[in-house]
Amino acid sequence: MSGGSAASPAATGELQAALAAEHAAVYGYGVVGAYLTGTSRASATSDWLAHQVARDALEAMLRSRGAQPVAAAAGYQLPVVRTTAEAAQLAVTLEDRVATAYLGLVAVSATAIRRFGARQLQASALRAAGWRGSTVAFPGLPASSLAAPRRD
Amino acid sequence: MAAHPTRRVVLAAALALPLAAASGCGGADVLAAPPHQAPDVTLLRSAITAEQLMIARYGAVLAGSSAAVTSALQPLLAEHRAHLAQLRSRLVVPAGSPAPSQRAPGAPAGVPSGQDAALAYLRDAEQTAAAALLARLPGAPASLAQLFASISASEATHVPVLDQAAAR
Repeated sequence: MSGGSAASPAATGELQAALAAEHAAVYGYGVVGAYLTGTSRASATSDWLAHQVARDALEAMLRSRGAQPVAAAAGYQLPVVRTTAEAAQLAVTLEDRVATAYLGLVAVSATAIRRFGARQLQASALRAAGWRGSTVAFPGLPASSLAAPRRD
Repeated sequence: MAAHPTRRVVLAAALALPLAAASGCGGADVLAAPPHQAPDVTLLRSAITAEQLMIARYGAVLAGSSAAVTSALQPLLAEHRAHLAQLRSRLVVPAGSPAPSQRAPGAPAGVPSGQDAALAYLRDAEQTAAAALLARLPGAPASLAQLFASISASEATHVPVLDQAAAR
């Protein structure tokens, strides 16, 4: 039903990369929230919880494949945050990294993992658009993977 | 993993050829097997058609929009144009197959009059288009699946923008 081997090492590697990105997001949103108040802070808290849920889901997927989920780092190198605008910018950066990691899952052939990656990419793009205040054409896709558009 | 749809098609074509020849009607054009279309070409063409339709819908709604709504819709339309350009750049047409139509579909039918109804129409169209791309993921090659997932996510982010434009 779902294509690809369930024990594919490539899939495990992509799941670990997504988990590592979620660990960083969970840590980073703690910093984001500390610089915000009111509805922005509530948004940061809600997004922080969403990343914890995604992290737990990834850990469960890895365990079900017999893999040991990667642990969170003790700390993460983050850009300096002093203002609410910089806090929002950090949230965008965290989401962009998570989005790119989830696109790695979309490249996995197993359908369930591919779908999970696509749903999480969508959720991340929605959060990023909220923090950025605008949308982008290709969430998660690095510019280098996009062809120069043809004029026609 | 990949299905082999070609084997059955080729077999069917091989069986059909002697029948067509035996019937004695038609010339070489009738006998020629249609060029095989790779599955990702089919996926790309349907995604391209969906983007063309979305651009036509935005065009129809923009024609009757206020200045405030127009400024909210223009960036979304620009993103759809970027989606279309990217999808077209991935389309490698096999030699001998008919050239794809470069023409966008005509004005879409059923665009509701009234600003709020028109924005709700675009919102529904974005949701439907985003879901349709996700539904095409299982059969797509990896890099195409990534492009579809990214475009689908972009379309999903248009929904709250359209909601906000309607609330103004």
